[in-house]
Amino acid sequence: MTGLRRPRWSTVLLGVLAVVWLYPVVWTLANAIRPSADIYRAPWDLPWPPAIGNIGEAWNRGRLGAALANSAYVTGMTVAVTLVVSVSGAYSLTRLRPPGRAVLFLLVLAPLIIPTDVLIVPLFSMFRAAGLIDSLPGLALFNVVANVSFATLILTGYFRTIPQDVVDAARVDGAGRIEVLLRIVVPLARPGILAVAVLVAVFTWNDFGGSLVLIQKPDAFTVPLAMSRFTTFFATDQGLTFAGMAIALVPPLLLFLVLQRSFIQGLTAGAVRR
Amino acid sequence: MALLHGSRRERAIDLLFLLPILLILAGFLLYPLGYGIVLSLHDTRGFELTSFAGLDHYAHAILGDAVFHRSLLNTFLFTGAAVVLLPGVGLFLAVLVSGVNGGRAFLRIVFFAPFVLAAVAVGEVWKFLYAPFFGVAATVGTALGFHAQSVAPLADPNTALWAIMVAFVWRFAGFNMIVYLAAIQALPREYYEHAVLEGAGRFERFRRITWPLLWPHTFTLVLLTTLGTLRIFDMVWVMTEGGPSHATETVGTYIYVTAFRYLQVGYAQAMAMILLFLILLLTVVEYRFFNRRATQVSS
Repeated sequence: MTGLRRPRWSTVLLGVLAVVWLYPVVWTLANAIRPSADIYRAPWDLPWPPAIGNIGEAWNRGRLGAALANSAYVTGMTVAVTLVVSVSGAYSLTRLRPPGRAVLFLLVLAPLIIPTDVLIVPLFSMFRAAGLIDSLPGLALFNVVANVSFATLILTGYFRTIPQDVVDAARVDGAGRIEVLLRIVVPLARPGILAVAVLVAVFTWNDFGGSLVLIQKPDAFTVPLAMSRFTTFFATDQGLTFAGMAIALVPPLLLFLVLQRSFIQGLTAGAVRR
Repeated sequence: MALLHGSRRERAIDLLFLLPILLILAGFLLYPLGYGIVLSLHDTRGFELTSFAGLDHYAHAILGDAVFHRSLLNTFLFTGAAVVLLPGVGLFLAVLVSGVNGGRAFLRIVFFAPFVLAAVAVGEVWKFLYAPFFGVAATVGTALGFHAQSVAPLADPNTALWAIMVAFVWRFAGFNMIVYLAAIQALPREYYEHAVLEGAGRFERFRRITWPLLWPHTFTLVLLTTLGTLRIFDMVWVMTEGGPSHATETVGTYIYVTAFRYLQVGYAQAMAMILLFLILLLTVVEYRFFNRRATQVSS
């Protein structure tokens, strides 16, 4: 396909599609700095002079600072725990020999077809009994459960590319399992581990279902939760609403732009391998 | 060499590394699954079990609940459309993007970016795009001669579900494109050169080479789309909460409302178990169907 003669129309079509795809985000960001009064009057005009005040007001009245801190805390904790658990598990499944390895592999991956959504009621019940409602560590635990299986799946793909001979040789030389893991496997699989970390971070940052059910008091709201309330509370002030949406859109977009290579690599590796 | 071949004790230590994930899955997946089955067989007050109800909840859901039927229909319509549209649009974009020489990296980012945005953010943005008066749908609609007030896709029961689908495609087509694009770029070039020598046109080359060779990827994407769409909750909830008058009610939103608004917990869980059953069933069916096609293609 590449390099062969291509008709011009495809380039034109791609340009149009790219504009269509970009439009919703650009429109939101533009409206975030457009005075509320102009949103009805002039949807196509440039937002000039920019109403920067929208952003600050949205930040304060929507308590977005607290929500961002909560989301960062939950995301950080989820990524850390998921990485430790899935790196250790993938290591055992690919480069160690636990008894019944094939069965264990299926067992670890089975949750991929059992979404946590269908278990949200019993999980809520359990979390309530354990006093984990409105608890950020509790929400992190929920996200760990939702993410460990696919994280392990992707990591096994990367770990398999590390030659078993290298691992065996190190073991014969007297290196322990943990030493091999930390000195050989982790450094060699660093791109894979980074990819998994970015994926888990974005999925956790964006999670809505879990926090909607497990978080009730506004102090513990994450960004998606704060945002969903925000648009209801300030429905009459569109400038403010768009500012709130813009604040929620920007962090994952920035993370993606900076780390897009490992992001895409992780996803394609995970999807193509099966 | 006993170390490598592994005595029983050595292999038990190997298992220790797997213990954390096994414990998490046992405690927070297997146990809730069992408890979920118990819940679905009981009447409840709040989240406490009161009396054994047998299969009553299941019978009521399957035989007597018109809203549940509507939600099932919507979920299947939505999933059916998504299974065709997400890989379809993704493949279309991938073929187009793989054909350009400049700006491929930029196009990849543009089409893929919506995937990293939160479902809530995407839902809210599109809700405003669809809003009467100042939304884009209204602006375009007015320009085409419709009354500004009447252009509100999410408020019309006939269009609401498909309005959400447009946002859904916008969000996920890029992911499908990325997977196809990586695969297309790995396809052996000689096939195409050979086909060109034999005088095969662009479409013929796609039909004879690209499409069959991408079959495993299509399988993966169809499966991932099915798994991800049958459970859809967040975007629908943000955009319509299942309305107007259940026109966009999915099994996911109905379970949520039933459990956390009406507090009919046992009944909600029975519906969740039905959904889980359907997910497992469709996964097996698709797996078999695609496996058969895959062996046909390769032979």
